[in-house]
Amino acid sequence: MEIVWFGALALLLAGYFALEGFDIGVGMLLPVLGRDQAARDRLVGAIAPFVLANEVWLVAGVGVLFGAFPTLEGDVLFALYPLVVALLVSWIVRDAGLWFRRRVDGPRWRAFWDGALCAGSWGLALTWGFALARVATGLDGLPALLLGVVLAAVVAAVFAFHGRTFAAWRLAGEGRPRGGRALLGSALLAASPALAGLALTASTVVGHAAPAGTLNMLGLMVVPFAPLMVGAQIWVWRTFGPRRPAGSRVPSFF
Amino acid sequence: MDVLDLARTQFAVTGSLHFLFVVLTLGLAPLVAIMQTRHALSGKPVFERMTRFWGQTYVINYALGVFTGLVMEFQFGLSWSGLSHYAGDVFGAPLAIETLVAFFLESTFLALWIFGWHRLPRWLHLACIWLVTLTAYASAFWIMVANAFLQNPAGSQVRGDRLALTDPGALLSNPSFVYAFPHVIGAGLLAGGLVVAGASAFQLSRRHPEAEFFTRSMRLGTVVASIGVFLAVGFGFAQFGPIGGLQPGKFDSDPLSGLSLGLMIMLGELLMLLFMFLLLPLIWWLPKWRWTHPVVILATPVPFVAAILGWLAREVGRQPWMINGRLTVADAMSPGLTPGMVGASFAAFAGLLGLLAVVDYVLIARTVLRGPAATFLGAPEESHASDCPSPALTY
Repeated sequence: MEIVWFGALALLLAGYFALEGFDIGVGMLLPVLGRDQAARDRLVGAIAPFVLANEVWLVAGVGVLFGAFPTLEGDVLFALYPLVVALLVSWIVRDAGLWFRRRVDGPRWRAFWDGALCAGSWGLALTWGFALARVATGLDGLPALLLGVVLAAVVAAVFAFHGRTFAAWRLAGEGRPRGGRALLGSALLAASPALAGLALTASTVVGHAAPAGTLNMLGLMVVPFAPLMVGAQIWVWRTFGPRRPAGSRVPSFF
Repeated sequence: MDVLDLARTQFAVTGSLHFLFVVLTLGLAPLVAIMQTRHALSGKPVFERMTRFWGQTYVINYALGVFTGLVMEFQFGLSWSGLSHYAGDVFGAPLAIETLVAFFLESTFLALWIFGWHRLPRWLHLACIWLVTLTAYASAFWIMVANAFLQNPAGSQVRGDRLALTDPGALLSNPSFVYAFPHVIGAGLLAGGLVVAGASAFQLSRRHPEAEFFTRSMRLGTVVASIGVFLAVGFGFAQFGPIGGLQPGKFDSDPLSGLSLGLMIMLGELLMLLFMFLLLPLIWWLPKWRWTHPVVILATPVPFVAAILGWLAREVGRQPWMINGRLTVADAMSPGLTPGMVGASFAAFAGLLGLLAVVDYVLIARTVLRGPAATFLGAPEESHASDCPSPALTY
């Protein structure tokens, strides 16, 4: 049972990097890829229908950490205290940019929240790099900081690449047209830092699993809904994929 | 303030902020779902416009529910790792189910609903808002299961130096849960219904041209709010029995707890009298009789005040326990937490969330003030010439 729940945790964290990675990447590249307001609106409109369904993978991942590996949850989050605070602040700033940017008309309002969206996206990518360095190596002090700088650059680079690939896949005229295979490749690349971190910590995580009674109850409550969860995610991709007509003509809420 | 007080205040502030938005989400979601269902059944355009207008209010409010909820979820690990060490095998399960199943589905279906206008078939789009409502209620269910466990650690036994889950059924039939859950749902319906009724009364009192729109909204809001007030008051009083047995002295130990309880009961009963003897009997004439409008507008913030008072009574009355009779709040705090850490994160979270909460309320007020014609959610196709090269002539 511990292995199954570790698999669920790994799937959710890697899925978060693979899916939310392109949202963060597009946010990071917003000033680069979107030279004017109309272009930025198109870019945000491209990720908009996916963000809510993507960011929730991390919420669920932390939930699994709490439910199936409770003693680890407190230790990991507390050990990463300043990084978790930075992650949450970045996340909220990025989301506020998304939710608020179109609520008032006017170039200054939208430019301000586009700035928040971009800054929050950079904050998320960089914080993840530092957090991975800390978790995967268990290091503290200067070595973790140096490795963190390297990993922050790596995560930012793979997210940005993934974001650009997604934009090319979803939007016509956004760089060289990209097929689904290219997007899958960049998704795997974006997930690789998370997968590496999970591989390095697997034995520690499994050793902290909750007793069988708790894991069984969790399984009993979660497994019946798994097909619905998978189905809902597939439905999002079928509805908002690039082949659907009228993609850009309905104004995006974000 | 020492580090424990700081950590407690941080949790209280983010938790109260979270519930201010969540209570409205719980009320508005079914209201919007009812409006959209009536449109699907009758085909009347007014119901579609009501769905979009109140739906936009709901969605703007939802944003802050998410932001504050994220901080809540991570705060357990940041400030209260002693709780997961001692009772994570029990307390973690309902929280995991809430995030992994209920919120995961709610967020996914909400994305489909918000961005699915004009893209999804009408009945599937309608199904999305009902699924959003259902999963929001499932979220409230599991969060209340987790909270009730803190009030009364049912279904668990001490094994060694930790709590073990021994009876999942007892966790779900916890007397601290079964009456509190409908009480919270009632509070949500009351808040959501009264916001719709109060905002409609405001627009009708300034003679907004969309009289039919706001007349229908005001009546529907009043009906839902009155269902809510009966649920909230009924299941509020029903809790005294179990609390007297499980947590005697809950409202006497700390003056803040007793005071909050007393004030909440007063406000709840005041609202119930208002609905029983004025708003419900006069519901047909309410939109037309302008003297009733200030009453409804003034009553609109009351459920939010009562909701915060209710949580204060419930949580302050639990002190000094994190888990009643088992684990104190002081022991639940993360070992090694310093005032500097909590102080800095508290300033960051409270500052950011407070600011965004104000922006959010201004945006909600602005949506209501501008009226249905300016609704953005579900707007028809954009007519940008650059976006859609249209043929020069169409016949």
